[in-house]
Amino acid sequence: MKNNLLSLLTCAAVLAFSSCSKSSKDDVQTTDATLETKVITDFTSVVANPDYTDLQAKASLLNTAVTTLVATPTDANLLAAQTAWKNTRAPWEACEGFLFGPVEDFNYDPTMDSWPVDKNELDAILASNNALGVTDVNALQDTQKGFHAIEYIIFGLGGTQKAANITAREKIYLTSLTQSLYNTATQLQNSWSASGGNYTKQVTTAGSGSTVFASRKDLFIALVGSMADICNEVSTSKMQTPLVAQDSLQDESAFSHNSIADFKNNITGIYNAYMCTYNGATGTGLNQLVAAKNAALDLKLRTQMQAAIASFSTITTTYEKAIYTNQSQVKAVQAAINTLHDSLDGDLTTFVNTNIKD
Amino acid sequence: MRKIKVIGILLLLVVLMVQCQKSSVLPAEDYDDRLSGGGETVFNATSHAFSQMFTGMGTYDNYVHSLGDDVFSRSFVSAPAPINSGLGALYNNVSCISCHHNDGIGLPTAGELQSSLLVRISQPGTDANGGPLAVPGYGVQLQDKAVFGKLPECKVNISYTYNTYTLDDGTTYELRTPTYTLSNLYTPIASSYMLSPRLAPPMIGLGLLETIPESQIVAGADPNDSNGDGIKGRANYVWDVNTKTRLLGRFGWKANTATVITQVVSAFNQDMGLTTSILPVENSFGQPQYDGLKDDPEVADTIVNAVKFYAQTLCVPARRNTTNATIKRGEQLFALGKCVNCHKQTFTTGVDVSRPYISSQVIHPYTDMLVHDMGAGLADNRPDYLAGGQDWRTAPLWGLGLFETINSPGYYLHDGRARTLTEAIMWHGGEAEASKAYFSHLSTADRNALLAFLKSL
Repeated sequence: MKNNLLSLLTCAAVLAFSSCSKSSKDDVQTTDATLETKVITDFTSVVANPDYTDLQAKASLLNTAVTTLVATPTDANLLAAQTAWKNTRAPWEACEGFLFGPVEDFNYDPTMDSWPVDKNELDAILASNNALGVTDVNALQDTQKGFHAIEYIIFGLGGTQKAANITAREKIYLTSLTQSLYNTATQLQNSWSASGGNYTKQVTTAGSGSTVFASRKDLFIALVGSMADICNEVSTSKMQTPLVAQDSLQDESAFSHNSIADFKNNITGIYNAYMCTYNGATGTGLNQLVAAKNAALDLKLRTQMQAAIASFSTITTTYEKAIYTNQSQVKAVQAAINTLHDSLDGDLTTFVNTNIKD
Repeated sequence: MRKIKVIGILLLLVVLMVQCQKSSVLPAEDYDDRLSGGGETVFNATSHAFSQMFTGMGTYDNYVHSLGDDVFSRSFVSAPAPINSGLGALYNNVSCISCHHNDGIGLPTAGELQSSLLVRISQPGTDANGGPLAVPGYGVQLQDKAVFGKLPECKVNISYTYNTYTLDDGTTYELRTPTYTLSNLYTPIASSYMLSPRLAPPMIGLGLLETIPESQIVAGADPNDSNGDGIKGRANYVWDVNTKTRLLGRFGWKANTATVITQVVSAFNQDMGLTTSILPVENSFGQPQYDGLKDDPEVADTIVNAVKFYAQTLCVPARRNTTNATIKRGEQLFALGKCVNCHKQTFTTGVDVSRPYISSQVIHPYTDMLVHDMGAGLADNRPDYLAGGQDWRTAPLWGLGLFETINSPGYYLHDGRARTLTEAIMWHGGEAEASKAYFSHLSTADRNALLAFLKSL
């Protein structure tokens, strides 16, 4: 009797188990589709488009600041241009948290942000009779234009530039460089906007008409993959290369000493994409999708993102100095980013593959 | 105790159920059609699908791959420089990634910033090792870019003529026939010369292809067409500069390169003007563009090896929708049309004791790794070792369906002349003439099924 009861109990349990899992699956799937679509739509309207629009606006301000500097080369105007450059870096580095789509397809990334600067070439061009107009600059190799060429001129080696030292040729070059940067930022912004290339639609129609993303899963894999990639790039490339070489000239933004801000904004970009937030605006994020099914994973990811972002504050000097004097802090930051990378590349990717059905 | 028993039984049931479910998803054969790269297949259909690192490697191997990845995407700059020094003086592009965009096939333009097409040059005859004979003042590859103040060798001009044709079901398609001409030559070319345009190929699965035993590849060769199927297939044996021996050519559009390491150092040297210990002489040596700097080799062995390792350890994306009936039908038609006679589905990699993850893998590259006469239409008429002027290596088809996603829009064939898969097929000639005809005779539904199959790769 007891044995019979046991088998009965077992059967009941199994039945309950399977029926439960079945019905909940069906229910969740309808909810999921709605939630997934909302997350995707909000990603475009709260994070991606506003970030690109911000980048375009800041690039415009940089262009204006450089025009002022060229007309009136005072150190105050130089400082204003330097600040405008850093302000433009912020939305750019943040959008690198989700590096897929037109920014790659149309090479806007290498056009704006190739590194390192080819200083020999830059000096040769300045010494030549190249007209240095915007079209001339556009035709140059990517290592001779974009953020870091501008940085080289307005900050100078070691960040020691003085307004009075900027030559007439450098002023012409600089003017075209910032105009070119603004033009590319504008193209990038347009590529996502509804009135332009409308890549936004390719994203929001993932799995329902998009020619880029055959399923919503593909879109989420692209998003999560990009988030993991930038972790890898910051930790094992941007931070590691100058650290092992013990050479601060190998830092990404060595002239402006903006490297730490760059790194931090890259990781912040991941946080923005995950939480669906930009400049104070918020929406329904990927975090809610994760939390609905796996609260522990969501907590882990958020904790690791916040820990990685916060870890930068332990480096109390410039990255150019820190690679010599604060190596343990640098390594701790790398470790925090690596931990996040492994969770994104592992847990979150598995989560997407398992839970996002179509 | 009882409780434990109940839990045990429950667990067993759950496990059985899960196992049941799993096996029903997999096909009945002893391998899974989706796993194009065997154990090194990645389930990723995004624009980064070609950029995924092998799994199952150790921490150190992962690190070396990442270092190689880093270098692959770095821009090199003119010497001397504190980092990435040595670009040029003559080059085609500044980084690996600017041609192998997203590790995929590139854009068929020349001389622009993101161009991925280069042009090889040689004069009639062969060099001491049986390879193409260099043109004095130009070598065997045209560099159409130079550091500031130096003259590029030339400008490559590409023009197309367009012709419309009709398939049996009435569907029209257009083929664009390219013409390559040179202008702005920095110095006249005295001899007659032959040109061969080459588009940057995808980077996936190279380590797997490199590990296929030579015997398996050679076994498929049929140079005298002894089985009478009209398809020959020959192995291209080439001079390998790294080992200083003659080896089976596996890589490049005409299989003129035997190993990944040689492919990497050749690309550094010829495409970017970067010297290595294996190829320590600048491509501009003996020409007025030569920099005369005593900085060779410009790329350290560790870096070269990391890039080689990176190129060897990129996953192959999984096939998609393999159980779809249309795609199944397309796969049958691919076999019936004898496409599969050259685009061979399966190989098993050999054993590399230091790399178990790459060893004994059942892979589906859809290539026989041999060169075939592809007819006059596709010919570059420039022999490359044993590959004749009409010969091309059977291109691996794995990843084909993702070309448009990786590098929108997609381009196909050695010089990117084909813009769609239909165009690519209709360019086939020579030994593939019958297969092309088969395709053109298909009903609309069958043709779409065959294309759907290709898109699933």
